[in-house]
Amino acid sequence: MRFIAHFWPLFIAVALIYLFHHSWGVVPPLGKVFNPFQGFLQNEGTNLIKENEAIFIEGLMDEVVVRYDDNAVPHIFANSDDDLYFAQGYVVARDRLWQMEFYTLVAAGRLTEVVGEGALEYDRFNRRLGMARSAIAITKNLEADTLANRILQAYAAGVNAYIDQLAYKDLPVEYKLLNYKPEHWSPYKSILMLMNMRNTLNGGSNDYRLSNVLAQYGPDVVADLFPDYPAVESPIVPEGTDWTFSPLAIPAVPDTVSALPDSNLLALNVPAPRPEVGSNNWAVAGSKSATGLPILANDPHLQLTLPSIWYQIQLSSPHVNAYGVALPGTPAIIVGFNKDVAWGVTNVGSDVMDFYHIRFRDTTFEAYWHDGQWKPTTMHMETFKLKNGKEIQDTLYYTHHGPIVYHEAKPTNYAKGLPVGYSMRWVTNETDGADVLTFHYLNRAKNYGEYRRALSYFTAPAQNFIFSSNAGDIVITSNGKLPLKWKGQGKYLLDGTLAAHDWQGWIPNDQNPEVRNPSRGYVSSANQFPTDTTYPYYLDWKFAHSSRAIRINERLEAMVGATTDSLRALQNDVYNVDARRILPHLLPVLSSNESTRKSEAFQAIEQWDYLNAADAVGASIFENWLDELLAGIWDDEFPKDKRLVYPSLDRTFELIKNEPDAKWFDNVNTMDTVETMDDIVRESFKSALMMLRDRYGNISEGNWAWGTVKRTRIMHLVPNFTSFGRTGIINGGGGGIVNATTGTHGPSWRMVVQLDTEWPVAYGLYPGGQSGNPGSKYYDNMIDRWANGELDTLLFMKHDDEESERLQHHVSLKPKK
Amino acid sequence: MLYLLIVLIGGLLSYFGPWWVIAPVCFAGCWWRSPTASYAFWVSALAGLTLWLGYSTYLHVLSEVDLVSKVAGVFTGGAPALANVPGTILVFVIAALVVGLVSGFSGLAGMKVGRFIHRPAE
Repeated sequence: MRFIAHFWPLFIAVALIYLFHHSWGVVPPLGKVFNPFQGFLQNEGTNLIKENEAIFIEGLMDEVVVRYDDNAVPHIFANSDDDLYFAQGYVVARDRLWQMEFYTLVAAGRLTEVVGEGALEYDRFNRRLGMARSAIAITKNLEADTLANRILQAYAAGVNAYIDQLAYKDLPVEYKLLNYKPEHWSPYKSILMLMNMRNTLNGGSNDYRLSNVLAQYGPDVVADLFPDYPAVESPIVPEGTDWTFSPLAIPAVPDTVSALPDSNLLALNVPAPRPEVGSNNWAVAGSKSATGLPILANDPHLQLTLPSIWYQIQLSSPHVNAYGVALPGTPAIIVGFNKDVAWGVTNVGSDVMDFYHIRFRDTTFEAYWHDGQWKPTTMHMETFKLKNGKEIQDTLYYTHHGPIVYHEAKPTNYAKGLPVGYSMRWVTNETDGADVLTFHYLNRAKNYGEYRRALSYFTAPAQNFIFSSNAGDIVITSNGKLPLKWKGQGKYLLDGTLAAHDWQGWIPNDQNPEVRNPSRGYVSSANQFPTDTTYPYYLDWKFAHSSRAIRINERLEAMVGATTDSLRALQNDVYNVDARRILPHLLPVLSSNESTRKSEAFQAIEQWDYLNAADAVGASIFENWLDELLAGIWDDEFPKDKRLVYPSLDRTFELIKNEPDAKWFDNVNTMDTVETMDDIVRESFKSALMMLRDRYGNISEGNWAWGTVKRTRIMHLVPNFTSFGRTGIINGGGGGIVNATTGTHGPSWRMVVQLDTEWPVAYGLYPGGQSGNPGSKYYDNMIDRWANGELDTLLFMKHDDEESERLQHHVSLKPKK
Repeated sequence: MLYLLIVLIGGLLSYFGPWWVIAPVCFAGCWWRSPTASYAFWVSALAGLTLWLGYSTYLHVLSEVDLVSKVAGVFTGGAPALANVPGTILVFVIAALVVGLVSGFSGLAGMKVGRFIHRPAE
């Protein structure tokens, strides 16, 4: 008793320490996190002036100077490329370590390890896509490539030098809140970062949905409603451009072009292509610019997140001096410029993801039927580690196409009891090439020839690489590995038993679509069709809707004496080409009714100037109306929840203009009435207004302003960390608008570069900040300027001891002897 | 005196040691000299509170961004009932509870265990 009377406080104290030292469910270890000496308060950036510092690091050969400007952009000056990439890794990790590791966990299907079982299905899907296995194979291949391996190793060593210096108190706050620690970096992880990009830009497919359409309506309806080229288009390579190469023999279209769908599982898992992930780039030739030399602009559209996907950096060594944005976790600059050239990217988005219906021999999944014989599958065991230490296993099978993303045995399968599945051929799982070398060489390119050489290393995701030089070149090349296909191959699910359905090889790199110095004086791309129908190879039946491309090309066509500000203004253009195209056909339908005509909503849209400006009420009505209109016309025949797909916007507009009596306007769900196009137009207008009223109250300039309705927000990568995001961002734009800012996606980096024979002048900005630390003022400091359409003047230094009042402090990285 | 000693030694060790390093300081301090159990508890809890809340306030005042409210938002995100509590108060209350309880009970434990060992005949 006496013992207990004296020792109970000790037991309680120990129990309390144990309690607060561990994480319980989603609650992090409170003792660690709330202790000001080590916890999250250590992540609060101070407003004390940053001092110059010297850091001694093992692995460096020579001193590296990193000068930080007033936007926290590091300007790295190294005496060798090895030290340069080492320092890039070190410096980026200092600002973005948590983010870069998080991306690799996503691509590798390992999120369960940090967030728990909730992420299991997401992880399982990502593993079944095969990205982690392909990243391993790519890394292994690159070990044989001396240069690529050296770059990746140096970068990883730099990241690890930073990680090794970290004490708990220095960890990014997300590690503290989610209670885990960073692993060592490696070349494999840099490749995983690139796999993530491949997935984002190439990881969507409508094959399954369109196969359902084919099964339900037949080939004539597909040909009519889902044509292989839009009615209105402005392709990247101008119409009428001659092809100067002799093409390879194009494979013949086989008798059977599709496999019939037999389950909805595949469509449930594989997302449709993401129209909001697009981009713009263009360059005007000297003939159109005020200076007589080219000006180039680029704005890649991605999901807007905090920390930002991009990181501004200047990389300088005796062999290179380039400025631009890098992806945290990968070496070199992805979009940028040097003294002589500038380059940028938009996504090509051609069909590089196909699904093969696989017939297995038996339930062991050991063999599948292909080209008249049974062929063996390969099998891999995937292990998922949960946060609580538990492990879950999943078997991944591969055919010669690639991973089997889904398989099951069901009584409805065409051979009863035998399982079927879908194997995926996806360019993301191609393991040759060295994407990282493309950027390494682009950073150093001096002219068109070096640009082309750089492109030849690139595999995926195929990009429209824009380029301009101070020698006067303006060029766009749709570059990357593009499969050689028969016309229409992969529009539907393919039959895995037929050899004719295999990919037939590759379009030769030098025959990828390209336009160089066209007579019109500009080149541009906005994810539209790369070419008109004269290009000998089949790329896809559908690309991004043409509205952005049309607007960009209209304005560039009219542009004379262009300046960097003309291009900046074009990046912020909010003109709605779709409204101009279709409203003149819709409004007369409404105006025949007097009460509608006199309504405030009708007046607002009738007087609207087609600008998706932040204060435009007409834009809010139009955008919501268009959604309702599409659903009104198509959702009865092609319901999305039944895994079908609507015809394109382009086809819908043509239908409204030219075929107002088409049967598709009738709502087949109402048995006793036959709706006309006019009925659908009126009804959809009404329901759009009702929805706006429900959500935003009665119509008024404030309530229904497009900026309010669009609700642009930039959230943290962890969905639950809402307070780390930024909401209430008011700006214009929209999905099919040049300023492609929607609620969650938009220009993730805007850059304008004016080439010069002496020294280029460049501007740029992205919606976030250099620091990944929510406690830093550089976490989101560019968002407001971005929303206003401003650009920062980029400080492109000539040498490390350059004087500028914008330079704030420097860090010397010194080799530890 | 004991209060100052815990604050000083605890503060010094907290720079290097784990978050719970305040606990052995309170334990040893109250073992060494504490007239009563209640004194041991309260002087330790107050010293812990002074140290953590004082340093937290210092960091928070110097900060360029209100990370405290952002982190509080992470905690209240799943608990709408707490949404209206100002972030700073929530964070300081949690920190106070953690350090108050841990140092208070450690001090009390030190005093009690000390008595047990030094006065076995009592």
